[in-house]
Amino acid sequence: MTFNLAISFADLLLLLPEIFLTCWLCVVVIVDFACPRIPQERLAFLSVAGLLATLGCLAWFDLSHVSGALFGNMFVLDRMALFFKIFIVGATALVILTSVQYVDRFAFFRGEYYVLVVMSALGMMFMASANDLLSLFVSLEFSTLGFYVLVGYLREDLGSNEAGLKFFILGVFAAGLLAYGISLVYGETGKIVFSDMAPTATSGTIIGFLLIFAALGFKIGAVPFHSWIPDTYHGAPTPVTTFLSIAPKGAAFAILLRIFFVALATFKPVWVFLLVAVSILSMTYANIVAIAQRNMKRLLAYSGIAQIGNLLIGLAAGTKMGNDAILFYLLAYLFANIGAFAIVIAVGQAIGSEEIDDYSGLNRRSPFLAFAMLLFLLSLAGVPPLAGFIGKLYIFVAAMKEGLYTLITVGLINIVISMYYYLIVVKKMYINEPIDPSPVQISGTMKAVVYVGLAGTLVIGIYPQPVIDWVVGATVMFANFAGPSAVVTPPVPPFGG
Amino acid sequence: MGEHVLLYILFAPFVGALALIMVSNRQPMLVRGIAVGSTFVSLVASVYLFYAYDPVKGGFQFVQKFEWSRQLGISLHLGVDGIGTPLVLASSILLFTGVFVSWHIKDRTKEFYIWLLILAAATIGVFMSLDLFFLYFFYEMSVIPMYLLLGMWGSHTKKYLEMTDQEGLKLRDSVGFIFNFGSNSKEYAAMKLVLFLSAFAVAALMGILLIYKYSGLDTFDILVLREQAQLMNIPVLGTTLDKIIWVLVFFGFASIAPLWPLHSWSPVGHAAAPAATSMLHAGVLMKLGHFSIIRVAFEILPETTREMMPIAAVLCIFSIIYGGFVAFYAKDTKYVIGYSSSSHMGYVFLGMAALNYVSLSGAVIYMFAHAMATGMLFAMAGWVYDQTHTRDLPSLGGLSNKMPFIAGCFIVGCMASIGMPGTVNFIAEIMIIVGSWNKYPFQVIIAVLGIVLTMAYLFKMMRGLFYGPMNQKYSHAHDAVATVDRLPLLVMIAVSVGFGIFPMHLYDVVRSGVDPLIARITHVVPVAQTGEELGARGEAMATLPVGDAHLVETTPSPFTPQASGRPE
Repeated sequence: MTFNLAISFADLLLLLPEIFLTCWLCVVVIVDFACPRIPQERLAFLSVAGLLATLGCLAWFDLSHVSGALFGNMFVLDRMALFFKIFIVGATALVILTSVQYVDRFAFFRGEYYVLVVMSALGMMFMASANDLLSLFVSLEFSTLGFYVLVGYLREDLGSNEAGLKFFILGVFAAGLLAYGISLVYGETGKIVFSDMAPTATSGTIIGFLLIFAALGFKIGAVPFHSWIPDTYHGAPTPVTTFLSIAPKGAAFAILLRIFFVALATFKPVWVFLLVAVSILSMTYANIVAIAQRNMKRLLAYSGIAQIGNLLIGLAAGTKMGNDAILFYLLAYLFANIGAFAIVIAVGQAIGSEEIDDYSGLNRRSPFLAFAMLLFLLSLAGVPPLAGFIGKLYIFVAAMKEGLYTLITVGLINIVISMYYYLIVVKKMYINEPIDPSPVQISGTMKAVVYVGLAGTLVIGIYPQPVIDWVVGATVMFANFAGPSAVVTPPVPPFGG
Repeated sequence: MGEHVLLYILFAPFVGALALIMVSNRQPMLVRGIAVGSTFVSLVASVYLFYAYDPVKGGFQFVQKFEWSRQLGISLHLGVDGIGTPLVLASSILLFTGVFVSWHIKDRTKEFYIWLLILAAATIGVFMSLDLFFLYFFYEMSVIPMYLLLGMWGSHTKKYLEMTDQEGLKLRDSVGFIFNFGSNSKEYAAMKLVLFLSAFAVAALMGILLIYKYSGLDTFDILVLREQAQLMNIPVLGTTLDKIIWVLVFFGFASIAPLWPLHSWSPVGHAAAPAATSMLHAGVLMKLGHFSIIRVAFEILPETTREMMPIAAVLCIFSIIYGGFVAFYAKDTKYVIGYSSSSHMGYVFLGMAALNYVSLSGAVIYMFAHAMATGMLFAMAGWVYDQTHTRDLPSLGGLSNKMPFIAGCFIVGCMASIGMPGTVNFIAEIMIIVGSWNKYPFQVIIAVLGIVLTMAYLFKMMRGLFYGPMNQKYSHAHDAVATVDRLPLLVMIAVSVGFGIFPMHLYDVVRSGVDPLIARITHVVPVAQTGEELGARGEAMATLPVGDAHLVETTPSPFTPQASGRPE
């Protein structure tokens, strides 16, 4: 195959957000090295300014429907890619705001922290546009590289070191699986661009795609590829955990959507079965194990795995509506999760603990934080009128239209199970009395993040129509996707699937 | 007001809750003032609604429709018929009185009122939803405030705080505390209530999603679904789809009603809850169950309802008898009233199961009547608890000297609860009994025995609380003297007795909602209500399929408009 590397100026425009962010990254590095005395807050705000400018650029692209493909279809910029880029950049900006106070804990390399975060975001932006196996591999590893360093950033802390090591070893293992899968698929089909692939069901392609799915399953943390998640989330610096729990999930879902709906469109009945199994396992396992957690970060880690199980319901529906629901749910998850983690960071700063027992009486110590945490947890549990409820309902409606009754039943039962452990936290915060009744203080930047989370959770929950319009427009590329199921499977017997 | 009256009723408490968020906790009078103001707006609007509702026209009135999501087929579609109107009125009366009943809450006053207002507004939202999505939305939204109200302001036995589990952890901090059945703690009650109701609510949601899928109409709108949904005769798992949906919806919503054997969350919850919450909980939250069954199962699956409703007729016997006996032997004032409520809800199920004009109207009026009666009883049990800090019947007694006003009101509450003539409960009970006799004579005999049982346990409780020797420990107890303390009781008594003496408008309103429903379900035209006599409503009903013309109902109603000689 040949690459056409002649790039015109108009093509470069498509890369403008990435190019701009790269330049900004260099600026942040230079400022960090040139002025060693600069307070790290300034660097944080500098990075956020760059991210906001990128966000503006992406929003402009989205509104003016800029789209196109580069490098022989390796890099595509369609509305879905733009959605995920906005998701990633927005999440990154919020994560940097939550980090401002936390970074003071790091003994060294405070400035580099922001550089690494933005670098990972850059890698994930490329992931959102990756349209072939090579750019998939390169961008995925590029984004993970930053995380390997970030997870172990607390050098003095054994937990952080352990988390970094676990994440690194398992991450490299997943990368190996990915590379092996890619080589098998390439060997069988001779193509690397998803849309040209049209694979046939040979053992090579099947094993190859299963390996690719395993690697991406590692990335999103679906059961049975989840084992790194609790320890890594627990040990990593909390802002990094926040970042890790949101942005890579979005980027990996962008890839999953492209692989399943573009490359593997003809295999739909096979992967629907696979996704149903993984989704049931993820939800049920994570929700049951989460009940026994006594640490807030671990609880949110398991809750995150369960949320991934919910997202996979939408993917298993295998329709455009299912994909809309995934995008919608990711947004709801973004606001609830960033808010919940921001409160974990704020409380961790104030009382020096992340144990659930130490949240006792938070309502008396800081009514605002307790109320915000309540709403975030309930949104994750899926209680109206919050965003998470609409997200879950959207996913269930999409899956219901495809007749995935078993999956929906399991999903609904899991809502109830998850409500139990979220309400245990609520019980500690609201019902139990505080051991130390001193008020919990919260910094301005942290408050801003919590407000953004609250606004997102409530507004999307109460009036979702604009967001629904946006996600429906973002997945317009799947509008004609019917998949072979309409032809292959007979009319679905109720309660069969 | 006029057309938008439903929006005022629904959003006044929400606006009040939002306003309360802005207010400082250090100004309790301002907090209470805002709560009173917003609930008063809601109350005035629902009184207006009740009298402006035109029973001759019937059908859904004051309809508001706003598109909410095109892709999902959801619209905020509000409207009330003759069944929803009295329940909206009951909710706002109980909310308004509830604000006064909780006047003396000192701990986190502001937050208490915020959650109380959200709870009540969500409940009202269910009664006016004409969209399955919003019905579920408000239904589930009403559950979570209950958790906080029970957990934060509820009460439990002191012994519980010292109990430990096998690992030596304090039981209230243990993860597995939910498995500690029998513990009488507020945490346990709150968690059980939420999990129980949510578990059954998702079953109902499954039913709703199945309706959405198999109707193929891509809409959640009840009015569209009831006209166009074709859900009959789709074979599934050895039965038919409509039966599965019906069972999911019926039991999903019957859990909150609460129908035996799904009642166990309810008395525990009543006992732990603060007075105003118990009032709302027993007064209106439980009616969400019956109402949602009527709205979803009766409206959308009329044929299946006719076929399956005998299930309710069987289970309601257990509700009535079991609840009555437990109430008789219970030693905790709130358990008595709690079990009495779940026993009385059996009457509503009996009225619903008999499926005729008189019995179903009776059931709807009973919901309204029970809201007032049980609201009074819980308000007074709450007052006694606030004064004595115990709910233990054997240790109480002789309080009538200390609180004559409360004792007097309690007698009225008991009379209402029993169904003495002169209260609206009597009208409801007699209608259920007369209406169900033809179809379920055995159940009616049980129900009448249940009334005797009600009399027994309420008199026993009255004696235990107010008469006999007084425990000197409680000699400091005092009566409700202030206007804010007396007002709620007087309002509820006035409503209960007022409608007991002048039931006509209430009856007309309820009949206008029940008639088209029963006509759809049973294909029976109500006696003396055919053709032009009913005007627009009659015409609407004349278009309904009237299958077996010989099945014209023979049970005469004591309150048909003709019998009372009132011109239509």
